[in-house]
Amino acid sequence: MRKVALVGAGVSKFGVRKATYRDLIWEAGKACFDSVPGVKPKDVEGLVVGSVMPERTAFQSHISSLAAEALGIRPSALSARTEHMCASGTVGIRYAYAFIAAGLADLVMVLGVEKLNQPTGDEAILNMGTGVDREWEAAFGLTAPPCFALAAQRHMAEYGTTEEQLALVGVKNHTHAAKNPNAHFNKGATLDQVLCSRMISTPLRLFMCSPITDGAAAVILAGEERARALTDKPVWIRGTGQALDGFQLTSLHEDYAHWPAMKRAAQAAYKMAGIGPHDVDLAEVHDCFAIAELIAYEELGFCHKGEAGPFVAEGRSDYGGDIVVNPRGGLIGCGHPLGATGVAQAAEVFVQLRGEAGARQVDDAAIGLTHNNSGMGEHVVMLYGREAR
Amino acid sequence: MTYFRATDPFPLESADHTKLHEFYARLGQGTLATTKCAGCGTAAWPPRGFCPECGADTFDWVELSAEGTVHAFTVQETGLPAGFEGPRVFAIVKVDGHRVFSILVDADPVKLAVGQKVRLAPLRVADDPKGNARWLPAFRPA
Ligand SMILES: [Zn+2]
Repeated sequence: MRKVALVGAGVSKFGVRKATYRDLIWEAGKACFDSVPGVKPKDVEGLVVGSVMPERTAFQSHISSLAAEALGIRPSALSARTEHMCASGTVGIRYAYAFIAAGLADLVMVLGVEKLNQPTGDEAILNMGTGVDREWEAAFGLTAPPCFALAAQRHMAEYGTTEEQLALVGVKNHTHAAKNPNAHFNKGATLDQVLCSRMISTPLRLFMCSPITDGAAAVILAGEERARALTDKPVWIRGTGQALDGFQLTSLHEDYAHWPAMKRAAQAAYKMAGIGPHDVDLAEVHDCFAIAELIAYEELGFCHKGEAGPFVAEGRSDYGGDIVVNPRGGLIGCGHPLGATGVAQAAEVFVQLRGEAGARQVDDAAIGLTHNNSGMGEHVVMLYGREAR
Repeated sequence: MTYFRATDPFPLESADHTKLHEFYARLGQGTLATTKCAGCGTAAWPPRGFCPECGADTFDWVELSAEGTVHAFTVQETGLPAGFEGPRVFAIVKVDGHRVFSILVDADPVKLAVGQKVRLAPLRVADDPKGNARWLPAFRPA
C-alpha cells in the first residue's frame, strides 16, 4: 500500500449560520484550497462528501455532484457520498485513504457538510431522530441525549463518576473553543455555568451536550510523491480502525459504561500505526456528550477503566497534562454539524502537527488521533503522524 | 402553499406496509408479541424477519409477558423533537429476559426506581394516512 498524507485542510465558521448548504461548501472549500497553493480545483481527481441528512434539512440528494460543481472539481477517479451518522466525515476520509493507498487515485478532497438548523428548532431535533431506529426507537421521540444519559448513569453508578467531573469536560471544551474563531461558542464556561445549565436528559445538562450546528470542513489527501511535491509538511495517515457492536440501544453491550467496539477500533488503529495510546500528543474525540469524552479516555487507553473522572478533574486531558483532548473545543464547544465533524477534527490535527495552530498549539505535537462514534456501539479511529513512519 | 413539515415519525404498521403487521395488530388488542424463528427457535426482540443465528426468514408469533421491570431510565426534560413533549421518561424494560426500549407513561419521575414493576400500556399515536390506528409498545408503573 502507498503512503497517504493530508496536504490541505480548511473549515467554515461553525454555528447557527445565515447560510445555505452550498454557502457552507464554498466556505470550507475556499479555506481548504487556500491552505495548499499548489492545488487548484481542476487538479483534484476525486471528491468524497460526508453528509448525513441533506434530504431532510436542505431537501437535497445527489450531494457529491452538487459539491463538485460548486467547487469546480471534475472527478476522474472517485465521486461518492458517505453517510454513517456522526462518523460520516471520517468514514469519507477512510474511503479516500483506501483509494489513494491502492493507487486508484492520487489527489482526493474529502468534504463534510451539514446544514442542521431549520426555521423551527424542534424540527431540527426531530430530524436527529433519523439517526436512531425509526420503528423501535425514534417513534417514541428518542434522539441521542437519553442514550448517552443512560451511559452516564451507569458510569456514575459503577465508578463513582460525579456530575462535577462530567461538567469539567464541558468547562474544558468550552474554554478551548474560546480560542477557536471557527467554533460555535467562543465565550468559555465556568463550572457553575455548566452545573446550573438546564437539564436535557438526567444527568446531562445543556453545557454537557453538543448543540445543533451548521458547518463544513474539507481536507485534501495525496499519495506520497504528490504529497511531498505539494508541501514540506504533509500530515501522514498512520493508522485507522472501525468497529461496530450494534445499532439499536437494546442490542448493544448491556453495560453502557463499557464501549467494547471503541476499544476494538482503537486497537486496530494503534496496531496499524505501530504505536500505543501513550504516544498520542493530542486527540480529537467525539464528545457529543460529556460522558462520551470520559469513556473515550478509557477505551482509547489514555487512562485505566473507571478512572476518567479523576483524569479530567486532575487536568490530565488538558494543556500541561498527559495528552490534550479536544484542543479545537470538541463537539461541545465547536458544535456538531454531523458530516463536517470528523473532517474538522482532521483539519485540527493537520494544523497541530504542522505547528500552525496558533493559540491552541499543543507543544511539539507529533501524533494526533481522531475519533467518532455514531452511537455507543459504533466507532472509528484515525491516527496521524508528523513523520511518515 | 403554507410551510409544512414533511414528517411522520411513526411506523407504517398495516399489512400493506410491513411484514411484521401482526405485532401491531396484537398490540392494538393489548398484548405484546414477538417473533420466534421457525428454523432454530430463537426468540428475538424486537421482532425480526430474518434470523441472524440460522439464516431463516420464517417465524411464528409468540406472546410475551405484559409485565416487566425497569432496567434503566432517564427523564428528558427539554430538547425533545417536534410533536413530543417533556418531561418524557425513556426506559429499558426487561420483559421475559428481553431488553425492550420504550417510554413510561403516567410515571412520576421522582418516584421511579430501577427494578420497579411496569405493565404494557399500548400507546395510540396518529392514525396512518388511510385512517388505520397505530400503536406503540409503551409501559406504565404497575
Ligand atoms: Zn433461526
